[in-house]
Amino acid sequence: MLDIRIGGVHPDILVLLPIVAGIIGGPGRGATIGFGTGLVADLFLPTPFGLSALVGCLLGFAVGLATVALDRTAWWLAPVAALGGSALYEVTYGALGSVLGQPQMLHVALARIVVVVSVTNAVLAWPAMKVMTWGMARASMEGMPTSDAGVGSAR
Amino acid sequence: MPRRSRRPRTTLLILVLAAITIITLDARGGLHVVTSGVRSVAADAFAPVRSGVNAVVEPIGSFLAGSVHYGAVREQNQKLQAEIDQLKLEQTAAAQQAQSLKQLSALLNLPYLGNLQTVPAEVTDFGTSDFAATIDIDVGRSDGVELGMPVVGLGGLVGQVVSVSHHTATVRLITDGQSAVGTRYGPEPGSLAILTGTGAGKPLSADLVPSNTPLTNGEVFTTSGLQGALYPPGIPVAGVVAARTGSTASQESVSLEPLADIAHLRYVTVVLWGPSA
Repeated sequence: MLDIRIGGVHPDILVLLPIVAGIIGGPGRGATIGFGTGLVADLFLPTPFGLSALVGCLLGFAVGLATVALDRTAWWLAPVAALGGSALYEVTYGALGSVLGQPQMLHVALARIVVVVSVTNAVLAWPAMKVMTWGMARASMEGMPTSDAGVGSAR
Repeated sequence: MPRRSRRPRTTLLILVLAAITIITLDARGGLHVVTSGVRSVAADAFAPVRSGVNAVVEPIGSFLAGSVHYGAVREQNQKLQAEIDQLKLEQTAAAQQAQSLKQLSALLNLPYLGNLQTVPAEVTDFGTSDFAATIDIDVGRSDGVELGMPVVGLGGLVGQVVSVSHHTATVRLITDGQSAVGTRYGPEPGSLAILTGTGAGKPLSADLVPSNTPLTNGEVFTTSGLQGALYPPGIPVAGVVAARTGSTASQESVSLEPLADIAHLRYVTVVLWGPSA
């Protein structure tokens, strides 16, 4: 039985995917990947079905929009975006869940969840960037469309 | 195709609408049959690989390698993990088995269950979300477990089955904020109160206890078993740890601690009982 927790909180690596996708691929790609990973996560979570997908696509879009004008090769960009994006995700997740009839979702140790998830994701942001860059490069080689934002700022 | 990706705002709008549609349909019940079906299938399909995935993501350092050489590493990891588990198992087998036997035989003879049919289960995961208090157990529909069945532990009530697949089930703990248990307390026939959860690791709170009710610490609340109740009667739920009445309050504010050791559950018992039975 494996149950990974830091300070009683699960690190949430799935949140990282829309963030790095937003940085690399722009708001459109970020939103799509956030929706997809969120929907998969929803299959295994006891929280309302579709909530992770909703917050995930908003997060991917927001990160893409916020970083589109920045130099995405800057070393600090991914960890900072992961830190801020993850915190934003967890707060929005709790707040939207509470709006959707599960008020207890705001009565959890939200501060601790935010700190653990955002710090672990900031640490993991670099490897995730490498993986996502590699994955998107492969996807574009196989003829899948890449976002103009990614292509434009890279070359 | 490239035209579509030039309009991220349209993409976002479509995805947000899709997500809201899914949430609404799921909550209203229209899509719930479909989503719970898909969830059940996914739980079945992923049950064997979940422990493998956990093994891969556990050490932060292996995340990169795990993602790039995922297949090979996972295979190797699973093999090594299995070997380690096997060795650990052999090492501690005797002591562990004796302890398990003790716990299981105690679970098989819970005095308050009477003649109700039960299925023993092992806890496989302590909650997949930080936003809800749930556990996953290793029995499912093939063992006769159905939605809504009560789950008990050594001291008393643990929770209720809220989702079930063929070989696994998810149990909402009584400490979860969505949980509400109808109970009785005090001298026969007992007054009624509703115990609601306030989150994992926090005490339960009692609703409907009139102000200035004399309650002693440790007084046990048991399930009421009223007609249509979610639990059979007489299962101990929680003991009083604090009770006080404010000067103008119409209700007494009561904190209770679950009698089952909810934070350290290893084995539980599913009671094959439904409200209609």
